[in-house]
Amino acid sequence: MITPDHIFDEQSSFEQKALRVFEYQRTNNPVYKRFFNALGIKEPAFASDIPLLPIQAFKDAKIITSEIDSPLYFQSSGTTGMVRSRHYIQDPELYQRSIIQGMLQFYDLEEYVTWAYTPGYNSNSNSSLIWMLNTLIKRDESGLSKFLELGEPLNESELREIQRSGKKLMLFGAAFGLLDVLDKHPSQLPRDSVILETGGMKTHRREITKEQLHKQLAEGFGLPESQIHSEYGMTELLSQAYAQGSLWFKSVPWMKVSIRDPKAPLKEVPLGEEGLIGVIDLANLYSCSFILTGDKGIQKEDGAFQVLGRWNLQNLRGCNFLIERD
Amino acid sequence: MIGATKKWLDPENPHLQEAISKTASEGLFSLQDVYHQLSVLRGNVENGDIQEWVKRAELSNEQNAKVRKVLCLHAGNLPLVGFQTALGVILSGADYYGKVSRKDPYLLSSFLEEIQRSDPEQKISYSRDLNSFEDLKADKVVFAGSEESVSDVKAEIKRLKAAKQGAEYIIRTAKFSIAYLDEWNADVRQDLTEAMLRYGGKGCRSVAVVVAPFGLDEVREELKQAINSYWKQNPQYQKPTSDLKYQYAYNEGIQQNQLWLNDFLIQESEELPDTDFTVNWVNGGKDTVRDLRISFGQMVQSVYTCEEVIEGIDTEPLSSAQSPPLYWKPDGVDVIKAVVG
Repeated sequence: MITPDHIFDEQSSFEQKALRVFEYQRTNNPVYKRFFNALGIKEPAFASDIPLLPIQAFKDAKIITSEIDSPLYFQSSGTTGMVRSRHYIQDPELYQRSIIQGMLQFYDLEEYVTWAYTPGYNSNSNSSLIWMLNTLIKRDESGLSKFLELGEPLNESELREIQRSGKKLMLFGAAFGLLDVLDKHPSQLPRDSVILETGGMKTHRREITKEQLHKQLAEGFGLPESQIHSEYGMTELLSQAYAQGSLWFKSVPWMKVSIRDPKAPLKEVPLGEEGLIGVIDLANLYSCSFILTGDKGIQKEDGAFQVLGRWNLQNLRGCNFLIERD
Repeated sequence: MIGATKKWLDPENPHLQEAISKTASEGLFSLQDVYHQLSVLRGNVENGDIQEWVKRAELSNEQNAKVRKVLCLHAGNLPLVGFQTALGVILSGADYYGKVSRKDPYLLSSFLEEIQRSDPEQKISYSRDLNSFEDLKADKVVFAGSEESVSDVKAEIKRLKAAKQGAEYIIRTAKFSIAYLDEWNADVRQDLTEAMLRYGGKGCRSVAVVVAPFGLDEVREELKQAINSYWKQNPQYQKPTSDLKYQYAYNEGIQQNQLWLNDFLIQESEELPDTDFTVNWVNGGKDTVRDLRISFGQMVQSVYTCEEVIEGIDTEPLSSAQSPPLYWKPDGVDVIKAVVG
């Protein structure tokens, strides 16, 4: 039986691990099993052959690999009446390992103090983002890491204290929440700080591009744009991807992204073409590792990818005059 | 105009025959769908629908769109989908300019040529290439679009100066129709099947959402039989892409009730029916219809019933879903009135 140790084992290739996880989930995850059988396709020989389950499944069904009920679940945020995704967590330690080992691929966490600003998420007691930030904050032995009070200015003396401690600040937050901080209480951060924005429109009062967002954050907080980073994560995934100073995300070693043809999701689109972002996240060992998201993206040869927003399905039906195609 | 339309629709008309033959040989649409569309139009003209439309639109020597230039960008998702718009614009007295779809280039053109032959004074200009309308500076533009395509189309028209600055855009956004079934019998099955499957379900008048007080499971076998016998007469011409099978497999995964027909999928779902060859079946009553009509908004063309009236909603008979009168209103808008107004 495959265990979390196998997922993080650097000796085995991603291909090998993905095929083992596929075998495990195809056998033990009833939803994925039925989905795979109904597709009627041949046995996957490569990770790229493994079919990806539409992410909507986390809203429509319980995505687990056994009948054991887990008290912990993550739930996406949303408005009243909206069906929300629910991700049952059988092994919280696995998520913890994925968070820490994942971030260590990109950051020397010993150097950083984490400040988290997450308006819109705080009211969701089952937020995976809050859980992640808690993990990072608790891990920092300096005691300087914390959640920031909403609506309060950044504390100058605490900023100086971080500098004195020899550490750097990582300001982690929902993108538009960080802009709100700037609007209400403009503040310059130490020059070696990093801002890690998680995307998300939780305060949904603006509509701007990612480039504009990064520019505004850089100017507002007095940092070079190279220090405005992004995280790509969601309730349905237990691993994250990071973009450090550009719009291109890179995944952790146990997560692989591909861009799928929305009209034929078993196929990848040619490099550089837009499609649906598909994710194989091996940390989702006890739910489903093979996910077709509803996000639009493109990918480069080195595997780095950009997120271009949500895929709009409404063009797929009915009368529509399209210049290129019609 | 009536004479020219009748002449064009004459089954012996060699120009129409040639257009049908080219359409079939290039595999653009099935012959059954083309013949169905022509048969509906013949019935419309015989019934006096042209006269009725002129009357309803209150066209007169004083009230018309003469000397106005109207540019129509025709979609091509089903045969002659642009016919009603072209006819309406010409009836209004406006100068007609049409960008004919590459997916339906022959049938509409044969109609326009017939009109031109019968009335050389009527301004008619059409092309498959939008660039042909550079510097046209049209007063009005009619096209079917969606949230995403509208801005691209407008930008292209602006670049070409195909429309005047400040020209009015009449944009159709409806994508599908809803059927409310309060009864279930052989006639309803036949009407529903035609309403869902004609043209592969690709028209905005096609039923993509069924609301019924009974579940899909209760009528599954009878519906399947009705569909199979429809397909014997009208084989489904266009085939779905593999995302349809993906949706079927997904439904199996989450144990969603569905009727999988290999090239078509009927599934129990209250979601927006956003892909071709899919019909969503919703268990509910008139209130459900009202709620869905509101939540799907401008994407809904028509709400059909067997005979029932649904208070607060305009309804049409299910039996006329694919054989509407000539004066039916895409997006609730009378094209003649829109062009004249």
